[in-house]
Amino acid sequence: MADVMLKIEGVCKSFGPTKANNNVNLVLKKGSVHGLAGENGSGKSTLASMICGMQMKDSGKFFKNGQEFDPKSPGDAKKNGVAMVVQELGVVGALSGAVNMFLGEMDKYKKGPLVDMKAMEKDAYQQFDKWNLPHVPLDIPAGQLQIEQRKVMELARALNADPDFLVLDEISQALSQDNREVLYKFIKKFTDQGKTILMITHDLEEMVEICDTISVLRDGEVIDTRASKDYSMDELKRLMIGREVSGDYYRDDQEESYEKTVILEVKNLTVPGKCENVSFELHKGEILGICGLSDAGIHEIGNAIFGLEEGRRGTVTVKTSNTELKKPGDMIKTKGAYLSKDRDAYGLMLDTGIGDNLIVPSVVELSGAFGFLNPKKTKALAQQASEAFEVKSSGLNHIVRRLSGGNKQKVNLSRWLVKDLDYLILDCPTRGVDIGVKAYIYSVLKKAKADGLGIIMISDELPEAMGMSDRILVMKEHKQEAILSRTTDFTEEKIMEVML
Amino acid sequence: MKKKVNFNINTWLPVIIFALIAVIFGIATGGQLFGATNLMNIFNQSVSTIIAGLGMVFVATMGSTDITCGAIVGVAGTLSCMAATNLPGPIMIPVALGVGLIVGLVAGVVVAKFKVNSFMTTLALMMGLRAFVTLLLSNNAYLIPDSMRFIDNNVFKVIAVIILVAIIVYVFHYTRFGVYVRGIGENENAIRYAGVNVEKIKIIAFAISGLMAGLAALFTIARVGGTNSTIGQGFEMRVMMALYIGGIPVRGGSGSKIYKLLFGAPTIVMLENGLVLCGASGGTTQLIRGIVLLVAVWLSNYLAKKFVNVGVSAAQNQKKAAAAE
Repeated sequence: MADVMLKIEGVCKSFGPTKANNNVNLVLKKGSVHGLAGENGSGKSTLASMICGMQMKDSGKFFKNGQEFDPKSPGDAKKNGVAMVVQELGVVGALSGAVNMFLGEMDKYKKGPLVDMKAMEKDAYQQFDKWNLPHVPLDIPAGQLQIEQRKVMELARALNADPDFLVLDEISQALSQDNREVLYKFIKKFTDQGKTILMITHDLEEMVEICDTISVLRDGEVIDTRASKDYSMDELKRLMIGREVSGDYYRDDQEESYEKTVILEVKNLTVPGKCENVSFELHKGEILGICGLSDAGIHEIGNAIFGLEEGRRGTVTVKTSNTELKKPGDMIKTKGAYLSKDRDAYGLMLDTGIGDNLIVPSVVELSGAFGFLNPKKTKALAQQASEAFEVKSSGLNHIVRRLSGGNKQKVNLSRWLVKDLDYLILDCPTRGVDIGVKAYIYSVLKKAKADGLGIIMISDELPEAMGMSDRILVMKEHKQEAILSRTTDFTEEKIMEVML
Repeated sequence: MKKKVNFNINTWLPVIIFALIAVIFGIATGGQLFGATNLMNIFNQSVSTIIAGLGMVFVATMGSTDITCGAIVGVAGTLSCMAATNLPGPIMIPVALGVGLIVGLVAGVVVAKFKVNSFMTTLALMMGLRAFVTLLLSNNAYLIPDSMRFIDNNVFKVIAVIILVAIIVYVFHYTRFGVYVRGIGENENAIRYAGVNVEKIKIIAFAISGLMAGLAALFTIARVGGTNSTIGQGFEMRVMMALYIGGIPVRGGSGSKIYKLLFGAPTIVMLENGLVLCGASGGTTQLIRGIVLLVAVWLSNYLAKKFVNVGVSAAQNQKKAAAAE
């Protein structure tokens, strides 16, 4: 058939005893966006990486444009017009953006013994312009770019070889609202040329909106494939998880509700170039959302309150004990906690066991005279945290790196929530976790709110912030723009209006 | 759920290497290695290495490097002997410990506060301190006063090592300081974001390393009988070998265990001692030391990865179990 871009026939892939992909059959049409839905570990990324030649399939066949297609390496796939933006960050941090864009193609830019950086940058920006992508600085080391900018750069790089089949694995989770719009426009333009996109995303609303067809994977098998307009959100969730998801996901009340007691007072918080004059009060039992466009400075607020930003001005006072927060240790002493957006880099010790990770925030409370830690006590605490939060693992020695994103986040959250806390700052708590864990995290937050915790939730996802917060603080161009109330202001239009 | 006991080869590697070297040289030397005098020799030569290693292990666990201990032995040994020429013998103890502590603190502050790479910091310190020893002594040598010779007494040494090991095992494995040190080796940022003053922990770790090196200096000069300008040269390499041959991960982290050092130190000494008994030349000994270290580090690295894979299959089993429910 002429309108078929890629046909997947009976593809299997096993890792040891686990079947990551089991007899997968799919037909991807030209000029369409095909979504892959499924929980963490359902085999979406495995399938995508086999199409792109990063892993070899055990059996089965791919046909691209009617020809059998069996990529042995990513380069091989590229020659056949297949490119991918991977879920993990795939840039070499120490090299400049321009070099990253043309890694492996540097020969083209040889100028005598040197490399013509100017020409490289020019070509790179041409690629950005061709697809209307926002320019990112390409002359500085890619490691200094924000996650978002790196993602955009990776997208531009994937388009270098002029592919007609593009795999986007969890690209939008790193993007904020405005860059998502850019992405959607790009997707439209790309597919209008008769090219195909295979899209993997945890954001089901986005998936239903963007994709033409959606296939649901569960335990490595394709459960269902339909036009996306034929799916309801609940049905999609049910198919992914294999059971009914309970109706409450976000909060079901529409009122701003918290106690009068102020827990945290932030006054004129300023970090030059990052955020300016942020002032708010966090109350007992309140969830305060913080939203904004990509460079609005929302993620810097968490770090600034915690005391890790250089040159911070203004005050952060914990009202319950009237102490000012100046350095990270102060927050722990005042029964607070801060969870960074990047849990792998700033939260967890990836190469050690769950138990070791779980006890770290609590060792101060657990230790007795001379800093003595009773192994029985620490083990009991780890056990308690791991059980209370239903971390799926083979035990406390299970290496954290080997957990799924959702379970990692459970470990990350539970190690703080087992403590007796007054307030909590969360930066994108549901980033990269599947729908089941997402719902679970929301239920945990609801419970924490009911217990009287003050929670600041910095979020890239507007529906999430609207669904959970009592008030939303909106940042625009590093400045505090407004604080909106759940009771009166929570519509997407209203918030977007303030953001833009 | 049924508990599955995994035999973790990585845990036993230091013991296996120790036993392997013991057997090889036991046979090669026709049992000479295990003669009572020789065993005592091996212990004697291990003491300083173990003591300095007990300090260095904190730094190594953080994924940092401290190569000052040889130079500390030189400076602390020399200054304490000099002090004892005019003052009563026991003055040596505070002098040696003080020198070690100060050098450790300096290294710690430079590494933690000024963010200079620890290898470069301690390399610079080592060169400076070595030069200092040469300036102090030129071609002279000092003898240890008779009142302090008790340090070289075997019974005293055994007791001292046992007490020190007990203290360090406690600090390393059973205090929150130990948790933080291992945590810094795993992911420094994670510890910082848990509200810990990482800089303070680093400074303390380097201070302990220096202090223990100062203590090792006393045992070293007591054994040799005095000090000259080459004392302690190459000592840092021997201590590092003891740590890494025992399977303490070079990148630091929770794989660090005190018992690994306790096997590593005599392994090194036994290796050298065995080679000497076999009549090997100095050059051959060096070469074989290098090869054995490389193999040991490679093995523990390789096995650590294997161990992580045990985690994968365990995860998959877990998943299956969950699906079956």
